[in-house]
Amino acid sequence: MGLKTAFARLAAGAPARCFAIVGAGADEIAPWLRLDPELAIVDSPRAADVLLVLGRFNEDTLHAAAAVHDLVPPPRGVVSWSPGHEAARGLPFTDAVALSDPSEIGSAAVRLRDELLSGRRASSPDILPDVDPAPWRGVGPFGQGGAGMTGGVPYGRPLAGRANDRDGLKLDQILVRVGPFLPPFPPGLMLDVKIQGDVIQEVSMPAAALDDGSSVADEHHSSEAPGSTEAMTRFAAVQHDPFIAALMRPVPVADLELARARHHLAWLAEALRVSGLEAYGRRVLKLARTVRPEAAEPVDDLSRWLRRNLSLRWGTSGVGVVSASQAAALPGGPVARAAGDGRDVRSLDPAYQRLGFMPVVLEVGDALARWRLRVAEAQQALTLAKRSNGSVTTPSGLVEGLRGPMGARVSASTALVTMLPELLVGMEWGDAVTAVVSLDIDMAEAAVLHDVAAEGRAS
Amino acid sequence: MILNVTFWAFSALAVFSGWRVFRADSMVRAAYWLLVSFAAVGVILVLLKAEFLGLILILMMGGEMTIMAVFMVAFMMNPAGLNPMTMVHRNSVAIVAGVVSFLAIAALGVFARFPVARAPVGIDPTRRLGVELLGDSMLVFQTAGVTLLAAMIAAVAISSARGRFGAGDEGSVEPDQLVPDTGAAPERVAGMQPGGPDGPRDPSPMAAGGHT
Amino acid sequence: MNALGVVIAVVSVAFVAAAGVYVTAWIDLVLARAVAGLEVRPLDALIAPLRWAAATALKARTTTERPDAEAWALAPALLAALAAVGLAAVPLAPGLLAADVANGIVLFGAAMALVVVAVFLQGWSPNSPLPMIGGYRFIAQGLSYEIPLAVVLIAAALPARSLAIAPIVTSQEHLWNVVRQPLGLPLYLMAGLGLAFWGPLALPEGQDLAGGSSLETSGASLLLWRAAQLLVLVAVAAMGTAVFLGGWLGPLLPGAAWMILKTLFLLIPLIATRHFVARVPTERYVVVSWAILIPLSLLDVFAAGIQALMAAR
Repeated sequence: MGLKTAFARLAAGAPARCFAIVGAGADEIAPWLRLDPELAIVDSPRAADVLLVLGRFNEDTLHAAAAVHDLVPPPRGVVSWSPGHEAARGLPFTDAVALSDPSEIGSAAVRLRDELLSGRRASSPDILPDVDPAPWRGVGPFGQGGAGMTGGVPYGRPLAGRANDRDGLKLDQILVRVGPFLPPFPPGLMLDVKIQGDVIQEVSMPAAALDDGSSVADEHHSSEAPGSTEAMTRFAAVQHDPFIAALMRPVPVADLELARARHHLAWLAEALRVSGLEAYGRRVLKLARTVRPEAAEPVDDLSRWLRRNLSLRWGTSGVGVVSASQAAALPGGPVARAAGDGRDVRSLDPAYQRLGFMPVVLEVGDALARWRLRVAEAQQALTLAKRSNGSVTTPSGLVEGLRGPMGARVSASTALVTMLPELLVGMEWGDAVTAVVSLDIDMAEAAVLHDVAAEGRAS
Repeated sequence: MILNVTFWAFSALAVFSGWRVFRADSMVRAAYWLLVSFAAVGVILVLLKAEFLGLILILMMGGEMTIMAVFMVAFMMNPAGLNPMTMVHRNSVAIVAGVVSFLAIAALGVFARFPVARAPVGIDPTRRLGVELLGDSMLVFQTAGVTLLAAMIAAVAISSARGRFGAGDEGSVEPDQLVPDTGAAPERVAGMQPGGPDGPRDPSPMAAGGHT
Repeated sequence: MNALGVVIAVVSVAFVAAAGVYVTAWIDLVLARAVAGLEVRPLDALIAPLRWAAATALKARTTTERPDAEAWALAPALLAALAAVGLAAVPLAPGLLAADVANGIVLFGAAMALVVVAVFLQGWSPNSPLPMIGGYRFIAQGLSYEIPLAVVLIAAALPARSLAIAPIVTSQEHLWNVVRQPLGLPLYLMAGLGLAFWGPLALPEGQDLAGGSSLETSGASLLLWRAAQLLVLVAVAAMGTAVFLGGWLGPLLPGAAWMILKTLFLLIPLIATRHFVARVPTERYVVVSWAILIPLSLLDVFAAGIQALMAAR
């Protein structure tokens, strides 16, 4: 038995290491992947065996997905899933394992990994050509790209340029495109960031970032007003999303609030993971999946543990402060409430008023306040769900969604994405990541309304 | 025998890596070739039973060469050797100065009378070194050392988040960088668009945090 | 030491290194499963590090665009070598010391100081922005770890009046250094965590950098890098045992057994910090280190000096 076969047999018992690429329509599955005992989600495609491609993609994100695929070291394979029963449209992977049932992802990944490592299946070939973006551009007496020894664009990649830092020193500054699938950031977020050292000097959004591609085939949007219920329905990846349903018909308060609590806890699990507490994050994720209004004590324990943990406070206190004026510019939602702005659509709903609902409001507006607010809202949501006794909401065209009012003219995620550049300038990378994670942006939500609004203007 | 082999091997390494410093295209490589050269000299010092000096040399040079690499990268435009470059300037002056220094040191090595007595067994080189260098003034030097450390800490504190023009995380910039109210955009630094001065190309694979 | 003694010592260091890395990986996995609320299954966890190692070794070593290939290949080997040198400076049993130099403390300090070079090269060489930020972070933090480390080790050497490790261990026959220099061990462990970039001080490889300095590494290089990182942790714990917890001293059991028990006693909390303490914010940790930890370490060495002077009377 050769060494390679021995290693392959040894490796076969472990969970499959996967890097997950999440597109539009995969919101129901993506947060819960880490709970699957057969999957080990890794931070970098270089550490993965299998690439998980979940959801729908547009042109730019497809290109990025192909680039990420080429980053996975061979032997590599692809498992793909797309919502609805259509095959994943336009994916460039030649021999992906395409699934229609998301619960099979774990077993398919493990099977694929075993076949790849034992050599029974060939590794997925490179998609993009392995060439430089541009030929070597030789100028100057020693072949440099620029004048003298400075700068230039060797092989099509610009070298770091000189720029002033805030003390007036001329130090190097490099332009980095933070792409759609970088793990700590929300999937689909693309930023062009100018970094000096690890301090962010400038942030801009490439225009392609916000389109989720679902507009390509449909024809009838010109008649839709931005933010209309038809648009929101089209946005809903899964028709049984209770928040979408609540826009159009009465929905039990318990359903809404339980979904809210689950989402906030799943968000907390990811935030804990990015802060370095991976194991505890997984514990919280399991809690998020299994919590019920009748058994809400673990959430209270969690809230107490969070208050006592000084290291988390140190990492988030004073980071990413959203001022009161910036909060007023947002349509509402947890970020605004953490900065002192108490707008909450639920205050206007008679069912909630009967339950004595008061929105949770904190003053400071930093990342720590947003953490605390979401945990408090989760606790409040579970209490409301328990006491609701079957009462239902009154549809009014507006619903307090997970990140802000839904059905409004501008979604909370769009407003947050617009606010990102001014928020992140001057922050260190680590603090910037903490701030972005604490904002809980959903790029699909930001995209569809931007997309619909653009069409509204064009028609 | 082993001693001689080790000595000649590390001496050759010191000379070779010293030469490579000037032939390397990359700043980081140049700094670390110099570190290798110093480390080889450190090993030779250990062979001479000056263990403390040798190990301290390696310890300090590790940090110093790293700082040098970082500063070269921060202030010079060709850190990784992407553009071919020449590391040497004013060749004629440098060659003359090099030959003169070599002759002077070689004269020292050949004509000076080095002690031939073996070092006595059982002395503690570290203790003897300390007494020799600092003598009766040990307390003075210790106090000076702590004062230096305090000065370094003060320097770190001064270069804190509050820069010259305000706090960094509030987006402070130098006054002449501020845009006047006419709304004209500040000039872009050349080549700072993604993909180069010609504008955006395909989204680079840095999208997922790596290169192809 | 005669030739046979040297060979035995080197082989013991290699064995302790391999066993230490394996045990560290196992303890980390067991703790992770316990904190995550999963079924712990310790026997199953025994084979899990081997599974991970096998799976990683089977992957190809990828390359990026125009990396510094030699430096990139060198970095994991350099880290492993430095950690091994650090471990070799620790006496594993009375008389079993691979690096029997008169300045064991300085040897350990030099090996740990060069860890900065290894991590920087690992972050710099792939020519990729996030690993580069990871490498730079480690340099920025380097002195914040090294200065308290060096100062508390010197303080521990004062009662022994020697920079060699074996005399430091024997000087603790009546009282361990952790008792007579209470500031020493906590500061040493914090510095050691930083040098092993583990847990709260995993700044060059944090999740906010998506894996940081080893983001682009794969295959055998990644395996060697992880093993080297765990070996740094083991070396830190072993040296801490020798210098603060009295090394091989103890009744009944042989010296080597005490070394193992005490090293585990230090190793388990070090590993556990990863699951209980969040990653520190870079800039703020530098401030804390320079404004609080370094003055505390100076206090520690002054107190040790005063004790030594009084003992000399």
